Amino acid sequence: MKRAILPCNGLDKQHGVLARELALRLSESEGAEIICPVLLNNSPARYEKALADASLLVIDGCGTRCASKLASKLGLKVDDKVQVSEQAKNAGLETGGSLRPGPVGMQLVDIMEAGLIAEEKAAVSEDTAVGFESPTQFLTVTYDKFIFKIPTEGYLFNENDCWVRVIGDRARVGVSDFVQQNMTDITFFEPAQVGKEIEQFDEVGSLESGKSMMDALSPVSGRIAAVNTQLVDSPGLVNDDPYGSGWIAEIDIRDFDSDRELLLDAAAYSKTVEKKAAEALH
Amino acid sequence: MAEDTFMGVRREKIDWCPTIDYSKCNFCMECDEFCPHDVFERRDDDPKLVVANPRNCVVFCRACSKTCGPDAISFPSKPETIVAIKKIREEEGEQ
Repeated sequence: MKRAILPCNGLDKQHGVLARELALRLSESEGAEIICPVLLNNSPARYEKALADASLLVIDGCGTRCASKLASKLGLKVDDKVQVSEQAKNAGLETGGSLRPGPVGMQLVDIMEAGLIAEEKAAVSEDTAVGFESPTQFLTVTYDKFIFKIPTEGYLFNENDCWVRVIGDRARVGVSDFVQQNMTDITFFEPAQVGKEIEQFDEVGSLESGKSMMDALSPVSGRIAAVNTQLVDSPGLVNDDPYGSGWIAEIDIRDFDSDRELLLDAAAYSKTVEKKAAEALH
Repeated sequence: MAEDTFMGVRREKIDWCPTIDYSKCNFCMECDEFCPHDVFERRDDDPKLVVANPRNCVVFCRACSKTCGPDAISFPSKPETIVAIKKIREEEGEQ
């Protein structure tokens, strides 16, 4: 599918300027359509057709995330996101303060462009494990009108409300029923990068709803082997089936015995949910 | 209200909260608007934003730093914090 790009308009900041450069690069290499945030804000109808026929990439310059916020304000379906300041940090590149892109800035544009192209390929070539069926046995925690389900068969949890299920050397992780009910309708999912080595409690994907944003923190350390690309198009699967088709990532585990020391079984996690529900919903 | 323990360890024993680099912070208050746990507090005097309630910070969460345009928020190392928590659990388990 053709890409439409909504970049940061940040002409007054170095990372904003690089957001524009990345948009130009993708426009040249892929024929992607650039959406001017100022015009979009003033006349959303102008881009109605372009947005209907394309997958939308949002490029934020910095953490202020103006482009993301504009997309959210207009209720646009975002398919992919890049944030230049985060990418600069990950790549260890100091792009300087000039408002004209220098060699280091352009190096970062190269890296981001390559990352976006690799991401598209990874989305079809990732290696998803089999055998992770949805659970059938649950404990429940009831608070007021809410009922939170906690699966008991082979699921472990961290105190950050993420679950893990391990089969052999492969773990599947996701967020709990408590998270999805607390966030309400999840409208955006940003997967982690396949192949990345992560520590326990590192970010393994992020979720956004109209109400809040949450980083899923991995219950296990290891290498990200697959991400649930279905969630990019249908983030609501996390609401529908948080322990099954709403899974977030699969990880080739590194040191599960050590990770396990900081994990809870269903009974212990139900006590955590009881406490959190009382705080969040009273 | 914050959790009073994390994995059975009292929250005040765990060194996990944001640090603001005031040479970078532009006091846009995005982090304070984002954080639902009242970790930050706005002040009339300088500095206009402080980490007033570090123990309210969710252990291992660093989502507020993603909202920071000038990248002024940092957190302790996760692996070091994990080791520290395990050590406290071990010591307390022995008692």
